[in-house]
Amino acid sequence: MREITLINAVKEAYIEEMERDESVFMVGQDLRGGIFNHTKGLYEQFGDRIVDTPISESGMYGTAFGAAQTGEYRPIVDFMFAGFSMVTFSEVSVTTGQQYFLHGGKTPMPIVITAAMGTGGRLANDHAMSVMGAYLRQPGIKVAFASCPADAKGLMKAAIRENNPVFIPFHMGLQSEVGPVPDGDHVVPLGVADVKREGSDVTVLASGMQTKFSLMAAEKLKGEFSVEVVDPRTLDPFDMPLLLKSLEKTNRLVIVDEDWENSGFASTISARVVEEGFDLLDAPIRRVCFPNMPIPGGYMEPYIMPNADKIEAAIRDVCA
Amino acid sequence: MSLTKEQMIKLYRNLIRAHEYDTTMYRRMMSGRLIGFYHPGEGAMAPGVAAHTIMRDGDYTFPHHRAHGMAAMVSREMDIKRYLAEHTGKQGGCCEGRSSFHGSFPEKGLFMYSGYIGAQFSPAVGWGWAAKRNGRSQISFCGAGDGGFGQGRAHEAMLMSQNWKLPVIFWCENNGLAIYGDAAEMHPTEDISSLAQGYGMPAMVIDGQDLFACAEAAVAAFEHAREGKGPVFVELKTCRYHEHDIGTPDLRGDVQRSEEEIAELRDRDPVLLATKRVLDEGILSQDEIDQIKAQAKQEVEDNWNWADAQPIAQPTEEELMAAVFAP
Repeated sequence: MREITLINAVKEAYIEEMERDESVFMVGQDLRGGIFNHTKGLYEQFGDRIVDTPISESGMYGTAFGAAQTGEYRPIVDFMFAGFSMVTFSEVSVTTGQQYFLHGGKTPMPIVITAAMGTGGRLANDHAMSVMGAYLRQPGIKVAFASCPADAKGLMKAAIRENNPVFIPFHMGLQSEVGPVPDGDHVVPLGVADVKREGSDVTVLASGMQTKFSLMAAEKLKGEFSVEVVDPRTLDPFDMPLLLKSLEKTNRLVIVDEDWENSGFASTISARVVEEGFDLLDAPIRRVCFPNMPIPGGYMEPYIMPNADKIEAAIRDVCA
Repeated sequence: MSLTKEQMIKLYRNLIRAHEYDTTMYRRMMSGRLIGFYHPGEGAMAPGVAAHTIMRDGDYTFPHHRAHGMAAMVSREMDIKRYLAEHTGKQGGCCEGRSSFHGSFPEKGLFMYSGYIGAQFSPAVGWGWAAKRNGRSQISFCGAGDGGFGQGRAHEAMLMSQNWKLPVIFWCENNGLAIYGDAAEMHPTEDISSLAQGYGMPAMVIDGQDLFACAEAAVAAFEHAREGKGPVFVELKTCRYHEHDIGTPDLRGDVQRSEEEIAELRDRDPVLLATKRVLDEGILSQDEIDQIKAQAKQEVEDNWNWADAQPIAQPTEEELMAAVFAP
């Protein structure tokens, strides 16, 4: 199977979906020149369907949101860095999530919200923050996150075809990650998790870069502990049946999330597993998250953020 | 640019209808028969009626919240009985009873409401972008009050609309008050439309009590936009006779608005002025005016009867959960 970078896998998804459906367009800042590889050259092919705006996030997002409301357009909004979407929080979170439900279910909102997201590049808080919690918190928005090129392409295609708002960033540190991507119309449905590595002693649930770190920890611990790594791929709606099936085998759970610990994905899944799978657990659930502090820059990020060492420590903890 | 007799009659009829709906909403709120809150529109209905009577099918709109956008619903021939049902929490409400007071008639280009003042500025850019791209001469009508233009997103919308020459109408119904906030304190210039200069956008300042002047402004502004010349800022100087919303004191700053002030404002009541005009110019006879009023009352009564006959909307939790996402 051919191997391409994650960022190019996303680009393929964009090109294929925009060729397939004329109503798909893209709005953001500096898309034509392309801050990241995945929008470079799109303007040559798609012309005025690639829309650059001033640094006016609420107007930029409103271009997409308003167009989607008319029922004739399927926009992709690119915030460049996920943290910047917080500049227009009421739009991306509150107004987006409530549009369909509060207005009688008559205006499906097929809007994709994307950006680079990820800690570890020493860029400090505004450029590095994981905003998963902000999008998960608001009802009415689906959330997906890829850990490999194949999923990055497949999930993005699914997100563009989805008739509801989807927040689907790509991890900064995984842009150049190379991996196999099937030919043809490769779609990964939303709401389906994936076992990235089979094991029997402990389940590690991790997304984005943390899937990679979890696989590194699992490989390091080979022989000592048999680690099953589960990639949610979609954080909301989350594939709980797959996780419970994994826990039937392993009975121990570590949840890794690059987002802040407070009120994040890891907390929600922990609570749900206790409610829905209490009898499956032989040990308390451990969460490995970013500590509740603004993300420091300098040389501090790599050892403060979740990483393979912290994941290994958590595995040892639940397996003790 | 002068209005035809037909247009003037239509405008007049819509003003009377809107006024009648507003009156019944006011009464209902006062007697506890309305959900949520109500922002009474008496004294302030001419601009919304004018704009939405002149508007065309296919145009996108977000009406200012005075009288909850009923001036727009009436004038754009939206199925207003479903708004009455919505505002009383009934089945058959335009938002399935889920919103308390949101108006939504997407088939008429009214997609949303919001509790956030100025929320409309953001999607108005998108409606304008879509309208331009669609090539069907639609407009994106962005109604707001003096208060709404305090929002940063208003700036972004004006900036982007003018950059791209989008057919967006920035329709500012300036009644000089944002709850208790005096516009003289909250805006550095007397005319909020002076903002438009900063964007190279044409602007007009109109007597918002004069229904026909408002309509002429709408004709001119919409034409400019439909011809692809870009957005227009229309400022309507208007007022309100009641408090911001029923139950909230009627203050300016911390001082009660006086009876004298309100009485003076009532001298230029839009219904009064429009009635005088159509009579003076022989557009309508007194008989015809009486008929229009009676028909309006009947229409409003019939629609309230329909809304009152609907059962209360109380779906189960499961039904609501299933409604969060589109299929």
